[in-house]
Amino acid sequence: MESPHPEERPLKKRRFFAENPSPVQKPPIRPVSPHAAVPPANELSPEDNDAGKSAPQDLDGFDVGMLQAIVGDLPLDTLRKLKDVSGSDVQKAINLYLDGSWVTTPLAASVTSAKSRNLPLQTTLRKIPKRVESEQSTTSSTDSGSSTPMAPVIKAMPGDRYIGSFGAVGWATRSGTGLIRHDEKVGISRQKSQPKAGKTPKRVVQVKKPDVIVRFTNYKGEEVGRLENESANWISILIDQNICAFEGKVVYAPDKIRTGETVYLQLRASFLRSAFDKRKFVKPDANREISIFEQQESSDEQSLRLRQVGLVKLFEAINLHPNRENANTEKHKRQGLLQATQKDEPEKSKQKSNSTADPTSSPPSDAEDGKELEQDQLDSLYRKAQSFDFNTPEMTPPDTFRLDLRKYQRQALHWMIGKEKAESLTHKEESMHPLWEEYEWPTQDADNMPVPVIENQSMFYVNPYSGELSLEFPKQEQNCLGGILADEMGLGKTIEMMSLIHTHRIEPPTDQSPDTVHQLPRLFKSSADVEAAPYTTLVIAPMSLLAQWESEADKASQEGTLKTLVYYGSEKAVNLQKLCSASNGANAPNVVITSYGTVLSEYGQVVKENGNRGSHGGIFSLDYFRIILDEAHFVKNRQSKTAKACYELSARHRWVLTGTPIVNRLEDLFSLVRFLKVEPWSNFSFWKTFITVPFEAGEFIRALDVVQTVLEPLVIRRTKDMKTPDGKALVPLPPRTIDVEKIELSKDERDVYDHIYLRAKMVFDVQAEKGNLLKSYTTIFAQILRLRQSCCHPVLTRKAEIVADEADAALASDLANGLADDMDLESLIQRFTTEGDQDVNQFGASVLKQIQSEAEAECPICSEEPMMDQTVTGCWHSACKDCLLNYIEHQREKGEVPRCFNCRAPINARDVFEVVRHERQPLTEDSKDSPFRSNTTTAAPSSTQASRISLRRVGLSGSAKTQALLTHLKTLHRANPLAKSVVFSQFTSFLDLIQPALDRDHIPYLRFDGTMSQKLRAATLAEFAASSKPYVLLLSLRAGGVGLNLTCASHVFVMDPWWSFAVEAQAIDRVHRMGQTEEVKVVRFIVQGSIEEKMLRIQERKKFM
Amino acid sequence: MAALPKRIIKETERLTKEPVPGISAVPHDDNLRYFDVTIDGPSQSPYEGGLFKLELFLPDDYPMTPPKVRFLTKIYHPNIDRLGRICLDVLKSNWSPALQIRTILLSIQALLGAPNPDDPLANDVAQTWKENQEQAISTAKEWTAKYATRDTNPTS
Repeated sequence: MESPHPEERPLKKRRFFAENPSPVQKPPIRPVSPHAAVPPANELSPEDNDAGKSAPQDLDGFDVGMLQAIVGDLPLDTLRKLKDVSGSDVQKAINLYLDGSWVTTPLAASVTSAKSRNLPLQTTLRKIPKRVESEQSTTSSTDSGSSTPMAPVIKAMPGDRYIGSFGAVGWATRSGTGLIRHDEKVGISRQKSQPKAGKTPKRVVQVKKPDVIVRFTNYKGEEVGRLENESANWISILIDQNICAFEGKVVYAPDKIRTGETVYLQLRASFLRSAFDKRKFVKPDANREISIFEQQESSDEQSLRLRQVGLVKLFEAINLHPNRENANTEKHKRQGLLQATQKDEPEKSKQKSNSTADPTSSPPSDAEDGKELEQDQLDSLYRKAQSFDFNTPEMTPPDTFRLDLRKYQRQALHWMIGKEKAESLTHKEESMHPLWEEYEWPTQDADNMPVPVIENQSMFYVNPYSGELSLEFPKQEQNCLGGILADEMGLGKTIEMMSLIHTHRIEPPTDQSPDTVHQLPRLFKSSADVEAAPYTTLVIAPMSLLAQWESEADKASQEGTLKTLVYYGSEKAVNLQKLCSASNGANAPNVVITSYGTVLSEYGQVVKENGNRGSHGGIFSLDYFRIILDEAHFVKNRQSKTAKACYELSARHRWVLTGTPIVNRLEDLFSLVRFLKVEPWSNFSFWKTFITVPFEAGEFIRALDVVQTVLEPLVIRRTKDMKTPDGKALVPLPPRTIDVEKIELSKDERDVYDHIYLRAKMVFDVQAEKGNLLKSYTTIFAQILRLRQSCCHPVLTRKAEIVADEADAALASDLANGLADDMDLESLIQRFTTEGDQDVNQFGASVLKQIQSEAEAECPICSEEPMMDQTVTGCWHSACKDCLLNYIEHQREKGEVPRCFNCRAPINARDVFEVVRHERQPLTEDSKDSPFRSNTTTAAPSSTQASRISLRRVGLSGSAKTQALLTHLKTLHRANPLAKSVVFSQFTSFLDLIQPALDRDHIPYLRFDGTMSQKLRAATLAEFAASSKPYVLLLSLRAGGVGLNLTCASHVFVMDPWWSFAVEAQAIDRVHRMGQTEEVKVVRFIVQGSIEEKMLRIQERKKFM
Repeated sequence: MAALPKRIIKETERLTKEPVPGISAVPHDDNLRYFDVTIDGPSQSPYEGGLFKLELFLPDDYPMTPPKVRFLTKIYHPNIDRLGRICLDVLKSNWSPALQIRTILLSIQALLGAPNPDDPLANDVAQTWKENQEQAISTAKEWTAKYATRDTNPTS
C-alpha cells in the first residue's frame, strides 16, 4: 500500500497536531473513534479509490495520508472539499468527514479567523446532534429523552475534549518490521461487531465476549496490536458507552515486531460530548419507586456500574483529581469505588478488600438481610453521634410552651431548629451535591501543550457513583430539613419535639405555598391534588402511644396555643385535606397524631386508586410542614409496607425519633435515612456499595466509618449515662436495681419441660442428621418457643402437639369421664342428671351437689374449715388444694401411685380440679377471659346466680413463676400498700394465666396488650396513673415495651427473658425514665437449668462482646 | 417443735368431746403428738373384757403419713407381734390422710375382733391360729386375762 512516508521513521514533528502552524490554531476537535460512524459516503467505487491515490501530492499542507489512513481512501474532490471545509486541518477534516457534516458545511463557516475561533466550531457542532443520537440509540436503550432539546451548556461543548494522557501497554498481534515506530500516532479502536469486513482491510473484526479487546492501529490504519487487558477492560467500556475517545502515540516499539511483543503507548483521552448528555440516563432514584430494591441489578444499572468503574479507572490513570468534592463522602468514596473492581493498583491495596465485591457481578441477592451488628460495633457507631458537646448553644422555646426544658433539651431544640432552618443557608451558597465531584478541564496536555479552552466551561462534574457526567454545577437538592433524634429513651424525645413544634411554626397568614409546592411533584406525579398543609405537623406513632402524644401535647402547651387532632379510628371521618389545607389556616390543627397502622391502611387505599392521593382526603393528600415518626424503628425494614407508606408522605421537615436507630442491622438505618431523604444515602444502590457490601465483605471498620459519617450530621443522641462536664448525670434518675430471681420448677413443670426438651432435641438431631437444619429452623424455633413457654407455665404449651400424646390420652379419659379443663358445676350436675339414671350418674350428680354444698365443709386432710381452695379429685372428693396436692406429691415421692385420700381410687394427677367460686360477676372486659375458660364463663346457664361455681383443673392456675410473682407482690404490698407495679411478659397467654392468680389473691390489676383498642388503652393507662389503688399493670412486652410512660410504678417484674436484653431494657425504662422519683426495683424471673438461663447467657454475650 | 397443726388440735378436741365407746386417747401434756390409748377388747372375741393399752404417735408429716401405733399390753394375736407392732393395712399402705386417730383406733379394735392369720406378723401365733384355732383362742383369752386386766398397769 502506498504511503507518503515509506520506511523512515516519522519526524518528530509528525505528531498528530504538528500540522498546525501555531498552537492557537489547533482545532478543538479530535477524531471520533472509528466505530462512531460509517457514513454512507464510505461506499466507495474502485475508481474513486484510484483517484484518491494520486491525491496526496495535490493537496499541499493537507495530510492526505493521515486522512485516508483513518477514513479510508477518498476521491480527490472529496478530499478537496474536506480540505477547504476544515481549513487544511486534517484532524478537523476527519471529524467532518466522519460526521457526514462536511457535505453541508458552508465553506465560509469553516474559515478560521483569530477573532471568531469558537463560532464556526459551534456551528459545526450544531449539526452533530443527530448523529450523536443515532449512536445512542444503538448503545443505550434508556435513551428516553431524545426528544428533549439539548441543554445549551452541552451545545457549547465540542464533540470531544481532551481530558488527559496516560501510559498504556499493548502487545503486537502481528509481526513484521517497521510496522510501527516511536512517536507514531496510533488509532485506538474498538469494534463490537463488524457488519462488513470485506473492503476495508484495516477494520478489525472482533465480536465475541468477553469483549474488552481494544486494538491499536498504526497511522496507516493497519492493526498492529491490542492493549493489555488491564487497561482494555475499562477503556473498552468508555469507548463502548460513548464516553471517551482515545488516541495514542507510540512511546516505544522495537523495530522488528513479533507477535506478542510489548509496545508502549501513550494514550490521550478525550471526553465525548455525548457523555455529558444527561438525557441518556435514567436517574437511578426517587421516582423509580421501590422496585429498584426488589430487583436484581438491571442491565441499565449494570452499564452504569461499568461506566462508573471505567471513569474511576480513567481518572486514576490520568491522575486527575477533583477540585472539589463533598467533604462527607470524600474520605471513603474513592476507596469504595476502587474496591468495586478487583484490579486495584498495588499501592492502593491497603484500602482494597480481599473480597470479591465486584459490583458487576450480581450482588448478594439478599442484601437486605445484611449481617447483624454486634453490640460493640453498634457502640462504636454511636460513639461519634454521641460525642455530644455540652457547650452547644441552647434555645428556649416560646411562651406557648408550658414546660421547663432541661439544658440538654434546650440544646436539642437549638440543634433541631438549626437543621430545619438550614435550608436558607445552603441555598445561598449553592453547595454541591454530595455525590458529585468537580474536575477542572486540563489546559495543557501531557506534553505541556495547551489544549483549547472553552469559555465558561473550565469545570466538569462527575458523579462517580452513577458514572454520570455533567457540565453543569450539580446543586444539592436540600431535602432533609430534619434528622434523627436518637436520644435514649426516657430523655424526653417527645417533649423535645413538642418544643420544636412550638418554636418553629408558621402562623397562618404567612404565604408558604411557594416553598412547599416545589416538593410535590416528587411522588405520585399523576395527582396534582396534594394540598399544602403548612401549619401542620404530622406525628406517626405506634398506636399505643397516640394517647400519650396527645396528653403530652396538652401538657406542654399553654391553653389554646396548639390544636391537636388524633387521627385514628372513628376520628378519621374528618377530611384531613380540607382541615389542614392552607386556606383553612386559622383552624388547621397544628399537630395531627396518627398511627402507623392508619398510614398503612390509607396507603393501601391510595395505591388502589392508582396513586390518586387527593381524592381520599386523608393523610396522603397533604404536604405537611413537618412529619415526625415516633419509635421509628417500626419502619426499620425498608421492604415493609409501612415503611414504604411512610416514604411516600411528603413534608418539608422530616424527623425520626428512636432510641435505637439501629436495632440489628445497618439496613435499619437505611430505612430511616431513606425516609429523611438524605442524599446520597437514600439511594439504596449507593448505600449498598458503600455500606452493605463492604460490611458483608468483612470490612466492618470501613463500613461503620461510613455509617458514622452518615449519622454524624443527622443524628443527635444522648444517653442517660452521659455526664455533664461537672460530673452530674444528664438526667438525674433514682437508682435502679435489677435482680435476677432464679426459679425452680415444680416437679410437674420440670417433667413437662424435660419432655418438651427431649422432643425438641430429638427433632433437632433428626434434622441435623438429615442436614436440613436450616430448612427446619422454623420448627426448631417453635420448639424453643415451647420450651420458653413451659418455663413460664406448662399450660402455655397445652394445645400443642408437644403434649399431644399425653393430651390425647387425657382427652380420651376426659371424654369418658365427662371431664374437661374447666367445668361449670351447675352444668355438670345437669349433665349428670339428664344423661340417664344410671347409678354412676346418680352418684356423680349427688357428689357434685355435695361439692357445691360442701362449700363450707372441713378439709379431710388438714381439718381446715372451710377448705382452702376447695379442690376435688376426679372421683369428686374434696380437700384443700394444698393438702390434696401435697398428698399426691407425697405418694409420688414414695414411688406409689397416687390414690384418692378418700376412696383410694388412683388419681390421675391431671384430674384435680379447683372449685372456683365466682363471687363477682365476670368483668365485662372480655380480654380477661383466658381461652381456657371462656366457654364456661359465657355459656353457663347459671351465670346469673350470685354464686357460681366451676371446676378448674389445677395447674392452670399456678406455676413456679406465678407463685414467685405472687410472693413478690404480696411482700411488696405489705411493705408499701400503695406501690404500683408493672408485670411484663411476651406471652399474652401467660398474662391470661397470671390474671386469675391475681384475682384469687384479690390483687387489683389492669391489663394492656395489643388486642385492646386505642380507647381502652388510653383509659387503662389513665386509670393506672391516676388511681390510688395499688394496681398491677400486666403488659405484653410487645405492646407496652416502647414509648409508654409508667413512672407511677416503681416495681417491675419481667416474667420471661427476651433474646436481647435491649428489649427488656426498653421495657424497664418505661418505668425508669424521666419523672421517676423513687428507686426502681426490677425482678427478672429466670427458671433454673432451663433455656432461659441460656438466653441470659446470650444476652450477656451480646452485651459484652 | 413447730406449732401443732390445726388438724391435730381438732382431732384431739373431738376425741375428748365425742369419745368413741370403748376407746380412749389422751395426749401427753408435754407432747401433744403422743397419745396414751386404751381399747376395750371387742365383745365376742377372745379379747373381750380386756383393756388394752397402746401408744400412738403422730409423726411430723401426719396426716401425710400414718400415725405410729403400738400395743403396750401383751396380746396373743396373729397380726400383732411380741413388741406390740400391728399389722394393719391402713397403718401402712392403705393409709390415707382422710383417716384419723379415731378411725385408726376403730380399725385396730376391729382387728382384735377379726384376726387375720393369713397376713401374719407373729408367725408362731398365726401358725397356731390356723392349725389349732381353739387352742389359739384359748391362749388369747388366757393372755387377755393375764395381761389386759383393768387394774394392773401393763408393764409388758
